[in-house]
Amino acid sequence: MTSHDVRDVLNLPSDHSAGPRPAKKQKISGPRPNLKGLAREVQSLGGDNPIAIVPEEAVFKKRRIANRKPAARWELRGFTNSARGDDGALLLRHWRRKADLDPNHDAGQDGETQMTDGVVDGDKPPAEVIEDSAFAKYNVQVSVPQYSEEQYHSNLQNNDWTKEETDYLMQLVKDFDLRWPLIWDRYDYSPRPIDGEGVNGSEMAVVPARTPRTMEDLKARYYEVAAKMMAVQKAVQYMTGPEFQLYEIMQNFNAAQETARKEFALERMNRSKDEAREEESLLLEIKRILARTERFNEERRELYNRLDFQTTDSDITQFRGSAGLQSLLQNLMNVDKSKKRKSIMAPGEGPSPQSAVPGSAVSETAPNNRRESIAASVTGHRDSTAGTPATPVEPAAPAADKKKKGAQPVEKRNLSEQEKQIYGLSHHERLGSGPTFRYEKINKLYSHKSGQQQMRITNALAELDIPPRLAMPTALVTQQFEKLWTNVTSLVDLRKVSDRLDADIKVEEAKKAERDKKNKPAGETTEKEKDGTGAEKEKDKAAEMGTKDGESSKDKEGEAAAGEEKAKAGGDSNQGGDGAADDGSAPPGAADGAAGSPAKPKGGEADGDKDKEKEKEKTPRPGSSGGHKRSASVLSTTSDKSSKRQKK
Amino acid sequence: MAQQPLPSSVQPTTDMYGGDEVSALVLDPGYSTTRAGYAGEDRPKQVVPSFYGKINYDNGTRDIFGDEVIYPRANFERPNYMNRDSVVEDWDAATRLWEHVLIKRLQPARATPAIRNGLNDRGKNDENGDVDMGEGIEEQEEGEKPLAESPLLVTEAPWNTTKNREKAIEIAMESWGAPAFWLNKTPVLAAFAAGKSTALVVDVGCANASVVAVHDGMVLKRSIQRSPVAGSWLSGQIRSMWDSSDPKVEVVPTFMVENKKPVEAGQPAEARLKKFDFVVPESFRAFEEERLLTEFKESVVEVWRGPGKFQGPNEDFVKSQVGRVFEMPDGYNQMWREQRFKVAEGMWDETAAYPPLGGGEEGRVQKGQTIPALIKASLEGVDADLRANLVGNIVVTGASTLLNGFNDRLHMELTAMYPGLRIKIHAAGLSSERRFGAWIGGSILASLGTFHQMWISKKEYEENGAGIVEKRCK
Repeated sequence: MTSHDVRDVLNLPSDHSAGPRPAKKQKISGPRPNLKGLAREVQSLGGDNPIAIVPEEAVFKKRRIANRKPAARWELRGFTNSARGDDGALLLRHWRRKADLDPNHDAGQDGETQMTDGVVDGDKPPAEVIEDSAFAKYNVQVSVPQYSEEQYHSNLQNNDWTKEETDYLMQLVKDFDLRWPLIWDRYDYSPRPIDGEGVNGSEMAVVPARTPRTMEDLKARYYEVAAKMMAVQKAVQYMTGPEFQLYEIMQNFNAAQETARKEFALERMNRSKDEAREEESLLLEIKRILARTERFNEERRELYNRLDFQTTDSDITQFRGSAGLQSLLQNLMNVDKSKKRKSIMAPGEGPSPQSAVPGSAVSETAPNNRRESIAASVTGHRDSTAGTPATPVEPAAPAADKKKKGAQPVEKRNLSEQEKQIYGLSHHERLGSGPTFRYEKINKLYSHKSGQQQMRITNALAELDIPPRLAMPTALVTQQFEKLWTNVTSLVDLRKVSDRLDADIKVEEAKKAERDKKNKPAGETTEKEKDGTGAEKEKDKAAEMGTKDGESSKDKEGEAAAGEEKAKAGGDSNQGGDGAADDGSAPPGAADGAAGSPAKPKGGEADGDKDKEKEKEKTPRPGSSGGHKRSASVLSTTSDKSSKRQKK
Repeated sequence: MAQQPLPSSVQPTTDMYGGDEVSALVLDPGYSTTRAGYAGEDRPKQVVPSFYGKINYDNGTRDIFGDEVIYPRANFERPNYMNRDSVVEDWDAATRLWEHVLIKRLQPARATPAIRNGLNDRGKNDENGDVDMGEGIEEQEEGEKPLAESPLLVTEAPWNTTKNREKAIEIAMESWGAPAFWLNKTPVLAAFAAGKSTALVVDVGCANASVVAVHDGMVLKRSIQRSPVAGSWLSGQIRSMWDSSDPKVEVVPTFMVENKKPVEAGQPAEARLKKFDFVVPESFRAFEEERLLTEFKESVVEVWRGPGKFQGPNEDFVKSQVGRVFEMPDGYNQMWREQRFKVAEGMWDETAAYPPLGGGEEGRVQKGQTIPALIKASLEGVDADLRANLVGNIVVTGASTLLNGFNDRLHMELTAMYPGLRIKIHAAGLSSERRFGAWIGGSILASLGTFHQMWISKKEYEENGAGIVEKRCK
C-alpha cells in the first residue's frame, strides 16, 4: 500500500509532491511477469503488490540422475604415519575411495571384500604400497642444543647447575618443544642421591637439597647453553644475520629484568577497579591526543604540500623564457580548475610566491619555473660584490642537470657544508635592505678610526703587501681580511700604549737620573742603566733568534717538532720581554695581545711563508722593540691565509 | 550427527578440517555417567550411569548396566565403580561396564564362527584333518580380541594416579586388544571441545569441581585445583535445605509412589506408597533420590547472578519476589523463593552454605573451596605471563554449570577479582556440549589426522610395558 492509497482512504487531499509516485509504481508493475495458470483478473487483485506465488514444482521426488552408474566403491585402507618413527608398526585404517581398477575384477570381488573388510584384508594389502599419512609432514621437532661430555666440561660449566640437571632441563625442553610455561610447570628435578663412600652400600646416601627454579633460571641456563653451543659450532664471525641475531638475543637474556617485568605484570593484574578505570580513561585520553596530533599533522602536511612546489622530472628549458612561463601558468591554472579546488595562489602571484615561502626559497631543489627568481633572491641575500655574479648562476645549472637526470632524490633544506660553499649559500643574522658591496663593509670599519690610526693601519697592511681595497673580495677573503684588520688595529693600539709607556719610562728615568746626579755619585746610576739596556738587548736577541729560526726552517706548513722548538725560543724571548713589558703595568688584554700564548706566534712563524719573513726583516720598523716584533709575527698568523690568497 | 551425508562419489576432503577418521573409540568415564562413542561424532553414542547395577544372589553377583535395568528388585545394589575423586576404584566393575558400552553396545554384532554355529555339525565323523583345521580356526578366532579394530582414547581426571593409568592401558591392550591407545586429561579435551588449546578450564561435574589451566594442549600441573563443591555436594545442600525447612520436606523418590492426590501448597502429601515385598537396598534408593534432586536442580535451583553476594539485602529482596513451585513425586508442593538461590550460594561464598545433613565438619565448604577461590589459586600456580591470557579464555564445562545463572555469577566474581583484565567465558550453549565437553574434545582429538602419530601402539606397549603411558601421555 502506498501513501497515495492511505491518503485515499483517509480522504486526504493528495499533495502534488506525492503525485507522480503512483504513476511510477504503475510503470513498474507493467512488465510484471505473467504467472502461468493465473487469470489476469486474479493477478490484478494484488494491485501494486504482486501476489507472492512461488511456482512450485509438482514433481514429488526427483529421479536421481546418477543412479545409472554403479555405486562408488570405498574401502578401508590401511595407512601408516611416518611421523611416529616406528617403521609403520601401527597400521590404522580409514575409508578411502577405491581406486578404479579393472571394473570386472571389482564386480566379482566386491562381495567378498566387503565381507572381509571388517577383519584383515586377507592377501590384498601386502600387494599394495601402504600409504603414508598426509599429516606426517606436520610433525616438526624443535632442535635442542646437543653437547658432548667434554664440550660440557670445557664450555658449559656452571656453579649453580650440575650436568645432570642441565641434561634434565634439555630433555624437558625437547619434550615440551620449548614451551616454557610447561617446562617450568613440569620441572621437578630431584638430584640423584650421592652414594655414601661406604662399600657396603650403607644407608648414608646424601640427597642434595633440591633447589626450586624459577622460569627465569631455567631460561637463563638454557639460553646460556644454547648460545655457547651455537658459538662452539659456528664461530660468531661466520654466523649469518638471523643466526647472529638469535645468538645476540640468547646471549643478552637478562633474568633479573624478566623477573622484574613479571612482577610488574602481576602488579598490573592486581590493580583495583579504580586504578583500572583510571588507566583506561588515561589511555583513552592518550588516544584522543594522538588522534588530534595526527589530524593536526595531516593538516599541516597538506598545507605544506600546497605551499611547496611541485617538482618535475621533465625538461625545464621550455619554461626559461617568459612565453614559457606564461604557458606554464596557464597550465597550472587549468589544472587547478579541473581539480575544482580552491587555488591557494592568486593567479597574479603564480610565478613568484617568494613571499609565501620565507626561508625555504633558497634551495637547490626549488622548482624549475622559479629558477631565475631564486637565483635573484640568492644574489640578493648574499652580500656579494659586483665581481661575484658567476656563483649564483652556477647553482642553477647543476641543479637543472640533476633535474634532467631525475636520479637525485629531492632534498629541500639539508645542504652539506660543501654544497653550501659551492652554491655560495650563507646564513646571516640580519641583512640590510638592498644590495651592498663587500668592500663597503671594510670601508665602514675605517670610518670609526681617527686619521692617524687609519694611517697606521694602512701602513701595517702595506707592510704585509695587502692593498687597502681588496682585489677580489669574496666572502671568505673579506672574512679573513676582517680578522686581519681587527688584529692590526689591536696591535696598533698596543703600540700606541707601549710607545707612551716607553716615553714615560724615559721621562721618569731622566728625572731619576737628574735626581741621582743631585743626590748621589754617578757610579750606581750607570749600573742601573746598564741593567735596563741589557734587558732590552737580551730581548732583541731572543726575538731575532726566533725569527732566524723561523727563517731557517724550510717547511712552510710548520711541523710539530719545529713548532715546539720555536715555541721554546719564543718562550725565552717572552720571558725576556716580560721584564720590560710588565714594568709598564700594561693592561692584561694588551699584554695578551702582545705576548700571546707562546705557541701562537711560533705556529704563525712556522706557517708563515719564507719570503714573508724576509720581507719583515727588510721592512724598516719604526721604533721596533721585541714586543713589536712579536706582534708582527702575530699578524702573520692571522693574515697568512689571506695573504696567500692575495698572492695567488 | 546432523550433517548432510556426502554423496558416495565424493571423497571427503580431509585436509580441509584436518580430520582423518580411523574409527577410534572414545571413552569418558565420569562419576555420574560414563560416556562412550566413536570419534568424529558430536556426541557420545552411549551414556550410561556410572552407578551400575549389581544383583546379589546367594551364590554370587551379577552386574547389569544401562538405564533400562533400573527398577526396584531384591538385592539390587547400585554401587559406583569410581570414587569421589572421579578416579576408577573398582577395576573389575569398570572393565565390565566399559566392555558393555564399548564392545557390546558399540561394536557391530559378529557372526558366530561357522565352526560353532552348529550348521556343519555332521562332520563329527569326518577325517581328522578337517577337525584339526577347524580347531585351528577356532583358536585363531579366539585370539581375535574384541577391540582389535579400533584405537581407544580414554579420558582421565588430571589428578589420576600412575597405577590407574597403567591399569587402563593394560585392560585396553591385553583384554581388548586395541591396536592403539591414548589417555588424555579431561580439561585439555574440554578446552579442545571449545576450540581452544590454551584455556582455563572450569569443570563443575558431579563429584568434583576443578579448575585447571591448559597451555597449548597440556595441563599445567601446578594449576590443578579441585574441591568437592559440585553436583553431588549441591544435592547434599538441597537435602539439608529440605531437612531444615518448615515443614520438613520428605524425599520420596518416584518409584515409591503408587498413587497421589493433588494437595495445596505447603500441605502434607496425600499419596499411597508402594509396598515392596523385599527390602529396597539403600544404594538403590539413594540413586533414585538423586534423580529427584537432579530434577529439582534443573527446574528450581538458581545461582544468584549478582550484584554482590546473595546474603544480606539481596536475600530480602528475593523473598519478596515470586518463586518457583516444585511438586514432589508424592504430590507435596511448595513455592521456593530465596532457598533456591541459597542452596547454590555455597559454591561462591563458603559462609552461605548449609551445614551438611549429618552434621560434623567433614562436608562443610572450606574457605578455599569455592569456585572463585579455586580460580584464584589456580592462576597463582601459573606463570605471570599466562594469567591474563587464561582469564581471557575461560572454558566452562560440566553438567553442574548448567545451573541457571552460573556463568553470570562467574563473570561477576571474576570481574570483581580482576578488574583490570579482559574476562571472557566460553560456555557451550548446547547442554549436551556442556555435559559431554571432555568426550567431544576426545572425539575431535582422536579424529584429527595429526593425532595419529601420538597413539601408543600395541607394539610400543609390548616393548615398553604399561609404564609407557607415563612417558607418552604427559
